[in-house]
Amino acid sequence: MKCRICNREAVEKYCELHEKAYRSIVQKYDDWKRAIDISWKEYLNELLKNSYTGSWAKEVAERLMKDGDR
Amino acid sequence: MGKYTLIITEKPDAAQRIAQALDSKGKPKKVEENGVPYFLAHRDRELVVVPALGHLYTVVHERGRRNYYPVFNFKWAPRHLAERGAKQIRPWIETISKLANDAEDFIAACDYDLEGSLIGYCILKYACENKEGVAKRMKFSTLMKSELEKAYEEPLPQLNFALIEAGRTRHEVDWLYGVNLSRALTLAARRWSGRYSTLSTGRVQGPTLNFLIGREKKIRSFVPTPYWEIKAEVEIKKSTCEVEYERKRIEKKAEADAVVRACTDKIGEVKEVSVRKFRQKPPVPFDIGTLQTEAYSLFGYTPRRTLGIAQRLYLDALISYPRTSSQKLPPIIDYKKILTALSRKPAYKKLASKLLEKEELKPREGAKEDSAHPAVYPTGKLPERTLSEPEKKVWDLVVKRFMAVFGETAIKQSVKVRLEVNSHNFFLRGRRILKEGWMQFYKPYVRAEEVLLPPIKEGETIRLKRVIRDDKFTNPPPRYNPSSLLKKMEELGIGTKATRADIIETLYNRRYATEERIVVTELGFGIIDILNKYAPRVVSVKLTQELEKKMEQIQSNKEKRENILLEAVEQLKPQLEQFKEKEGPIGEALSNAIKRARMQERIIGNCPTCGTGTLMILYSRKTRKRFIGCTNYFKGICKTSFPLPQRGTVKPMGKNCSSCGWPLVRVQIRGRRPWRLCFNPDCPLKEERRKRDEMQNLQ
Repeated sequence: MKCRICNREAVEKYCELHEKAYRSIVQKYDDWKRAIDISWKEYLNELLKNSYTGSWAKEVAERLMKDGDR
Repeated sequence: MGKYTLIITEKPDAAQRIAQALDSKGKPKKVEENGVPYFLAHRDRELVVVPALGHLYTVVHERGRRNYYPVFNFKWAPRHLAERGAKQIRPWIETISKLANDAEDFIAACDYDLEGSLIGYCILKYACENKEGVAKRMKFSTLMKSELEKAYEEPLPQLNFALIEAGRTRHEVDWLYGVNLSRALTLAARRWSGRYSTLSTGRVQGPTLNFLIGREKKIRSFVPTPYWEIKAEVEIKKSTCEVEYERKRIEKKAEADAVVRACTDKIGEVKEVSVRKFRQKPPVPFDIGTLQTEAYSLFGYTPRRTLGIAQRLYLDALISYPRTSSQKLPPIIDYKKILTALSRKPAYKKLASKLLEKEELKPREGAKEDSAHPAVYPTGKLPERTLSEPEKKVWDLVVKRFMAVFGETAIKQSVKVRLEVNSHNFFLRGRRILKEGWMQFYKPYVRAEEVLLPPIKEGETIRLKRVIRDDKFTNPPPRYNPSSLLKKMEELGIGTKATRADIIETLYNRRYATEERIVVTELGFGIIDILNKYAPRVVSVKLTQELEKKMEQIQSNKEKRENILLEAVEQLKPQLEQFKEKEGPIGEALSNAIKRARMQERIIGNCPTCGTGTLMILYSRKTRKRFIGCTNYFKGICKTSFPLPQRGTVKPMGKNCSSCGWPLVRVQIRGRRPWRLCFNPDCPLKEERRKRDEMQNLQ
């Protein structure tokens, strides 16, 4: 199976590199929720706007926004 | 000319200086044969001082074609037989061989380190036909006349064979790794795609790229989290000071807002004023690594550039041998003499005199040692030619550092004021220097900002003038720059002081890394992905460290060259076999990585017209001409395109135009200076230039 984003060999939905970014996105959502009450969609939007977000994390966030899943 | 002593040096500049120092009149005769200079000097006897050109010999494949692997049989051969573009080596070796025929004695006077010892050994063995056993060795750390004369009068009776063996082993092991792995990568990609691309890796290059990738992965998958800081200002005796809130980070926005509400416009009371004195010892003398780091942070020079500058200063006898890992300054170098000599320069007179007034001169030394050379220090000689600006800066830095290590401990005072406002604590901090000590010698390179506070007493009341919530995000780990990468390599113990800077440069040249704050390219990722999968041992930092340690042990006769070579072959063999077995998938993955890298190199930046597309360098199918176009063209959304020069190479600069903010490209035509091009036809800079040209034409 190919990665949904970059066409590399996928581990699950994504390749090893994007999978790591995906896990980080899911894991950090709890911190964001605790800090400011924020919905999943708003959270992804914030990540896309943020200049510190890594490029793979942005690609995953964009994909998640499009697919509407988590 | 009768019989003479042949002195072999590493570089032409060093040969000239040694000949000048040893000639009884200080005026050796320069002779040139086939473009190779050498010097005739007279002392107690006739001397011929002939330079090398760095390494004249290198490791090559013993026999066979260039396009297969594994190859484990090698020999040492003249560089011009092995490398393209090394034609100039042939006359050099011929001239040395000719001079060796009539020579009676031989002295190696190359730099006293791994590389220098090996250069001298190879010339004596191959060009002079097995004179390595009878040759003597001059050992010196500066090119000062007195030191060179002493090194000539009291030479070491023979070459340092342990050092030579260590150098030989290092070159041979590096060759085994470099040739085999690079061929494996290049051939796999070529057999799959039919196209040739030079791909390389090496014993140190691979692990270095590997840990760069470790950092890159963290940065690219980084997800920031928000936090808040409280910023506040107080007014004390008509001056405004910033105060710090007791908690550096507040993880919840609501909590930060509560602090702001509780403290805004409130009056606080000074609960505590604590004053602390602390001492700051002088810095330690420069070894090459710390000199490179300091020059990078002060002047922005890459480690390789600093090494080049330091080498020139050494050849001018202005500083001691720079490729040293020592942080020690032995008294034998004669501190007083150096300082007295330096005081002839007005800029150093006052500082040097201050040090000379001291009863005893004792430098602060670091822990690192080098049996061959002391730390980098100025010789005391003043420049005879006009130094370039970078040379001036590095020389001044070395001089001031040398003086600073003899300085006294600096004494600083810090003041911490605790202000309680509505049960919240704020801190006001001040810093001042009580005694400059060594700092006076290290100006302007010393980093010590003073923050002076007005007098404050406990029990005083102070109003918080402004309290704000500062929205922050956690940052990804910083990118390496050439200097911090060099430091990291040193920490990990991979590479040597002489090779680290070159390895970093190779990563750029191979296009595995770009930009000053190092970004690993798609190609860099591709190479390491494959090596990690199919030959993980060759990118392992741990294994490289172990091999480095063993190679170092050769220098102290605790390890043998043969054992290490055998170990290297044993490590490589299974990795290369696996590589060969999986050549198909490896070739495919590499070709894809090359394709992605080429694509990445064509990306210019965001499209300023549609805002969602990406501008790329594209080629017209009809005319084959190149232009800049938006990727959204293929979706039928955006038709933005710009013409490009058709000659030379065009590369994105990764920077934006200072006037219009559009991305810039760099155009380079062979034989001409490269220039930056803003392709925005309406760029205000272009308009300005047009007007200026018109004015000039009118005038």
